Amino acid sequence: MNSEVCQLKELEVEHFEIREVLRCILHTILFHRALGLVRPKDVDLELFEITYVQCGDVELDRKIDDKIDQFIDRVEKHPNKKNQICLSFYEVKNKQATWFTNKVERLYWEQWYINLNVAQHPKGHFGKSHHSKVVVDRGDTAADERSARRAALEASLRDVLFQIIRFVNEKKDHVPPIPNLEGVSFPYEITISRFRIWDGHVQEDAPNRASNDAQLTSKALKLPRSFSSSFVMRSIICVNC
Amino acid sequence: MDLHSYPQGEHGRFEQILNQFLLKSLHIILDSRVPANRPSSRNGEVKKSDKWFNLALGDRPAAMDSLSFWNRSLMEPMIIDIILVQESPNYSPDHVSSSSEMYTETVVERWTVQYEYQRAMAPQTGDASYKKTYKKSIILLRSVYSMLRLLPAYKAFRKLQSLNRNCDFDINYKVCSFSSPFSRTEEESMKKYSFIPVDAQQGRLSVSVIYRKDLSDFNLDSFVSCPPEIIIDYVGSPLTEPMREFPSTSSEKGARATSFPIRGKQSTPSSPFQRRHSWTSGLHRDLSSLPNKPFSGSPPLNRSPYEYSTSPTDVYIHKSQNQRSPSNHRTTFDDLLSPPFSPSPSPSPPTYISGGIPGRLRSETAPMSIPHPMMGRSPRYLSPNLSDPSRHSLPPLSPRNLKFDPSSHESPSGIRLMRKSDSLRSGDLSSGSINSSQKVSRDAKEDSGRFSSLLSSSSSPRVGFSRSSSRLSFQEDFGDLDFSCPFIVDDVDPPDNQSSQNLDGRNSSEVSSQASSTTKKSQDAAVGELVHMLKTAPPLRQDSIYNTSQSSKIDFDGEVGTVSDFFKPRKTSDALEELKVYKEMKDLLLSRSVSHVAGKE
Repeated sequence: MNSEVCQLKELEVEHFEIREVLRCILHTILFHRALGLVRPKDVDLELFEITYVQCGDVELDRKIDDKIDQFIDRVEKHPNKKNQICLSFYEVKNKQATWFTNKVERLYWEQWYINLNVAQHPKGHFGKSHHSKVVVDRGDTAADERSARRAALEASLRDVLFQIIRFVNEKKDHVPPIPNLEGVSFPYEITISRFRIWDGHVQEDAPNRASNDAQLTSKALKLPRSFSSSFVMRSIICVNC
Repeated sequence: MDLHSYPQGEHGRFEQILNQFLLKSLHIILDSRVPANRPSSRNGEVKKSDKWFNLALGDRPAAMDSLSFWNRSLMEPMIIDIILVQESPNYSPDHVSSSSEMYTETVVERWTVQYEYQRAMAPQTGDASYKKTYKKSIILLRSVYSMLRLLPAYKAFRKLQSLNRNCDFDINYKVCSFSSPFSRTEEESMKKYSFIPVDAQQGRLSVSVIYRKDLSDFNLDSFVSCPPEIIIDYVGSPLTEPMREFPSTSSEKGARATSFPIRGKQSTPSSPFQRRHSWTSGLHRDLSSLPNKPFSGSPPLNRSPYEYSTSPTDVYIHKSQNQRSPSNHRTTFDDLLSPPFSPSPSPSPPTYISGGIPGRLRSETAPMSIPHPMMGRSPRYLSPNLSDPSRHSLPPLSPRNLKFDPSSHESPSGIRLMRKSDSLRSGDLSSGSINSSQKVSRDAKEDSGRFSSLLSSSSSPRVGFSRSSSRLSFQEDFGDLDFSCPFIVDDVDPPDNQSSQNLDGRNSSEVSSQASSTTKKSQDAAVGELVHMLKTAPPLRQDSIYNTSQSSKIDFDGEVGTVSDFFKPRKTSDALEELKVYKEMKDLLLSRSVSHVAGKE
């Protein structure tokens, strides 16, 4: 089956907005790809007038939050302007365990690239306490700029969500059969990259595939033989350096 | 769903999928546009019928129950109109002739779900065809679900839902197989979005929506998303309980009209709306408009008063009562109109009655100067309320919104009030059973009695302040309270009702024990609790003694207050001295709250 790639519109975010924006986008994508039984849960963003839908899967929430924490740490350590998160869905093809390797191959059938342009001036503390940044200034030009920027970000975020919806509607043929599971049915992987993969061309030395770490990790997992009949949800944390 | 296929059964399977697809999409759309006061049964086993398309939505809206799908051809499109109902601007109370004059209805969204039969397509055979169709329709429904939250009408829905339909607009729906085309002007303001159709057996499943791009023309009291701010002078809303009780009684007794600011032509029943809005004023706007608050930011206005509001609002009630009455739906699917167009009253949940009074409610209403006679009436009421705030981050602004959902959609409208009051009495907000009505009438008497007494009493605010000051002395972490709010009134015992005073005495002890046992999870809830406690009668006794030592002007006997205590004439100098004391307290509180806020940041 063919692999589909979706490059989401780039978003200009401030540090304290990263978490909300990423949560919104990742959950939206996963909601459309978690084709097992879900109890949709509406979540309102605090910073914007946008409501997105979660799968209602606690495990998924936790993994996404962990990943976002990683991303934020990464952004702190490497204050590059542009950052990218890749959410990939793959199928695991069972490989006969030979006598020298237990390699399991992954076939990526869909990849989403979330492009964030993080503002260069990181705040002293963000993440958990980002809400304190939300307090509106009183009559500053800086405040005007900020609100204009936030409005633009909200519009862009909305565009990204529309983009996701359009993409999941347009491309349906490549989705593998749904295993009979609840919640997130397809294994997925979230990778963080400092490098940009844009229009199929790598701007810097970023691999257009799972990182070596990911491949090694999947090997190490040593998935059971009967795996082909039931996909196991896994999330592998990889950070490209 | 059994997906084992047999060639001959495949068409049957497909029809089943198609039918369920239509039902599911209707369910999704109605759930996302039409507020329904039913409990969200999210926990527990998912019903088999709900598992279709792997999207568990919970119980179907009541509206769907009456929609008949039996005589509906699967080939016909299902057109769902989402209609915004607002009061006509040129409405005047003199012309109550027809409902169309009173309301302006605008189709803000039109969803079309249909199976497009394409004869030219070769019929797909094999096991995979309907499985693929099913898989793709799962994805399609997910995107419909998401899209519903991104379209402009969603904000209106959330506002309506959060305010329990106490807005100046309402949302109706209409499901039919045909639709009148839009006028040119309407079309210009609308945009179309078509989801990519899903290939089906001999055609395709398609979903599309025509929606209004911009709802700002409707002045839906802009659903402003205020960034979360610390409200320094926030006052918890234990007042909502008494507030709720008070209007509920006076509509029958007619005693409510006197002290509420009544807007223009509005009758008494609608004044509590204003009262509630005006009480919270800016607070209400901030809190109720926070989109991320699932519950209403405004004080939980008692829905019950509106059930039996009379005279001018009768027509509105008639309309809104019909809005959700499942039994009033005509059985023919082709020309199915939403309840407002169907006749006769119904036993549907009266909560929708408030929707029938659009245009009357504005969040910015006359400044309220209304005491809260309910304050100390029944501390027992407070305790169940106190337990609710733990569910929310805010004090019991609207703890009952969620709580009342289970009960509201079951009871007949006529006796809703009684049930509600009674549930308050019994301290069980979620109870849906109707207990003795004698209690209700007693409450009514008490309420009206207290209300009138409070109006005439000049001493009530005084007592409230003193109580709060003493409370603050040992609850310093609740520094956000500002007890200079004029509407904070003490829980003056009903001067003309000994029995209620005894009750209060008992209740207050209950409350104090209950209050201590209900540990607040959030500071805001604790603030609410504090204010509750301050209002209860027994603590008053101690405070009154404290107050006496402070001002030496308040002459409490340490007993449950009698009429004479509160009506004792006082000199101006006494009042001035008290004023000084309160000013000091206010400054103290403010300084504490400022330091507390600074500390939090």
